[in-house]
Amino acid sequence: MTLIKNKKITQDNWHYLVDGQALQTSHNIVSLSYWVENKADLISAEAPLGLLVQGDEELTNFANDLPHFSLIAIEFPTFADGRGYSLAKTLREQFKFPNEIRAVGDILPDQALYLTRVGFDALELADDQLAPLALSKLDEFSVFYQSTPSAQ
Amino acid sequence: MYLYNEFDQTLVNERVEQFRDQTARFLNGDLTEEQFRPLRLMNGLYIQTHAPMLRINIPYGLLSSKQLRMFAHISHKYDKDYGHFTTRQNMQFNWPELERVPDILADLASVQMHSIQSSGNCIRNTTSDPLAGVCADEIEDPRPYCEIIRQWSTLHPEFSYLPRKFKIAVSGSPKDRAATQVHDIGLHLKKGANGEIGFEVLVGGGLGRTPVIGQTINAFIAEKDLLSYLEAILRVYNRFGRRDNKYKARIKILVRETGLDKFKEQVESEWASIRHGDLTLSNEEIQRVKNFFTPLNYETSTNDALEQHLANSGLFRQWFKQNTIEHKQTGYRVVFLSLKSPNRAPGDVTNVQMEQIANMADQYSFGQIRTTHDQNLALTDVKTSDLYALWQQLEKQELATANIGTITDMICCPGLDFCSLANASSIDIAQGITDRFTDNAIDTGSISLKMSGCMNGCGHHSIGEIGILGVDKKGEQWYQLTLGGSDSHQSKLGDRLGKAIAKDLVVDAIDDIVQVYKSNRNDNENFANTLQRIGLQPFKDKVYDAH
Repeated sequence: MTLIKNKKITQDNWHYLVDGQALQTSHNIVSLSYWVENKADLISAEAPLGLLVQGDEELTNFANDLPHFSLIAIEFPTFADGRGYSLAKTLREQFKFPNEIRAVGDILPDQALYLTRVGFDALELADDQLAPLALSKLDEFSVFYQSTPSAQ
Repeated sequence: MYLYNEFDQTLVNERVEQFRDQTARFLNGDLTEEQFRPLRLMNGLYIQTHAPMLRINIPYGLLSSKQLRMFAHISHKYDKDYGHFTTRQNMQFNWPELERVPDILADLASVQMHSIQSSGNCIRNTTSDPLAGVCADEIEDPRPYCEIIRQWSTLHPEFSYLPRKFKIAVSGSPKDRAATQVHDIGLHLKKGANGEIGFEVLVGGGLGRTPVIGQTINAFIAEKDLLSYLEAILRVYNRFGRRDNKYKARIKILVRETGLDKFKEQVESEWASIRHGDLTLSNEEIQRVKNFFTPLNYETSTNDALEQHLANSGLFRQWFKQNTIEHKQTGYRVVFLSLKSPNRAPGDVTNVQMEQIANMADQYSFGQIRTTHDQNLALTDVKTSDLYALWQQLEKQELATANIGTITDMICCPGLDFCSLANASSIDIAQGITDRFTDNAIDTGSISLKMSGCMNGCGHHSIGEIGILGVDKKGEQWYQLTLGGSDSHQSKLGDRLGKAIAKDLVVDAIDDIVQVYKSNRNDNENFANTLQRIGLQPFKDKVYDAH
């Protein structure tokens, strides 16, 4: 899967856990319900772990678990649903989440810049061929009225 | 007025190039209509009945003569030699070609204008009092704060895919001339106990299918907290506003379903987390923007010439009385240019008129023009000694119809003639009312009449003293009347008069309503007070018994 991370097209070495299949040894992205049910095992595995949440997920449902995750993937059900933007911004700005925040689902190249402006540092486009276009869209503006939340 | 620096200019220039690329990709087939839609809407471009419609922001209703000349140029070069001023301080062109819109945006950028977020589910143009800075009752000039909000909301990355559109209006006077109570957020400038500047914040107002008057969510926030408070409201709305039904997606529904108290709790908890962060406005930043709105260089002038002209000309006297109002500076008046002449649709203005208004603004009013919520224009700083000469020029351009505040000074949406949402036409009804009342509009007194061609309510019918709403009944155009609405400092929704009325009887029904008012009013009693005193019934009896 092609990924745009920190303004570069890179290879993705994370795996989404598919229902009924076994976990990979490392770099699994699991759903919130899987995490809740298998918390103890996942923590004891001591491997980099990612969490997949929907854009409208209540942050309080996983805020206390943030230290366990090397990645949060926020899924957009449609490109017009802007809830994921507020979730990412809040994760960065108020919870100071320092690791990767990835946008997945229905995201368009024309949205790449706004996504990175609210705290996403990784964009996973459904269509690999659109990655170069999305990348070029990141430089469309050189000035902004709003600040960008930093992970630090 | 505010002037762009290099930063502001770069942003609008880059926006033009972005849209040029998006338009080209759409025309090549690389973007689907569905994907292009939010992108074009966020540049004010609708697809209407006949052609695209381009809506351009006039931030807080303030235009320079140079900008107005650019509108004239655009209407001539890309459109059909006219434009339309809306109730929310926008200019609309009804006939541009999609392929040429990027060029129009480039022309606009050359005079520090844009159409960014004039449509779409994002934060729209911030509107304000057309008399900002010149009215005697002002607590504080709202324009610097509007400009601060304009910058904060422009290309806001987090709030560009909201559940629905979002409108903010700011008023600096106790008398509300910006319809702030029917906005998603209404801001009223206030002074605290020690003279410090702040805002009363109203939330959840709006017109459309479910008209609601906004409620106070916070009685006073300090000016430095303005943006963090707005951001807190927007974030709560973006997270929790309904997305399952576009007719229930405005913030007014969220506030109603959540309850004001709980909604306030959510907002203020969010605010507490971000309040002292980088959105806090420094005194320096506020002052930097305020410096663009310092008082104009007024001269002392006498009223001698004015008095003489008033004594000599009845027509001038009538216009002076109806279309000009007091200015805070002695020797100056505010002049309204009526865009409700008998010969044009409400709010429409030709390219020649725009050129001439720009010239008049340069000659008589510091080169600035304001647009009003009532779809008129104002030259706000005219010396009383210049009024007669200005009136003569306005007369020649059909801009001196002495009807400001009367029944023929109506608010009216473009209706079925242009709009793909409309159920019924508005412009021909407006024409019928104008024809019926033009000769006795002043005698009829102050009546606000507002008309929309569908329940989306762009013509603000819900808050008209007389409201007219076009509805579709089995393919026929019918009209629902309401009485007693208000957009003053105590906004109020009108009450339904009764069942809808057939198109050919609407003007007669309005005439009946006016006759009931005139035969019942005491002395100079206005329409609203007469209605309140005698109730709806006499109006009902007259309208429905007659037809």
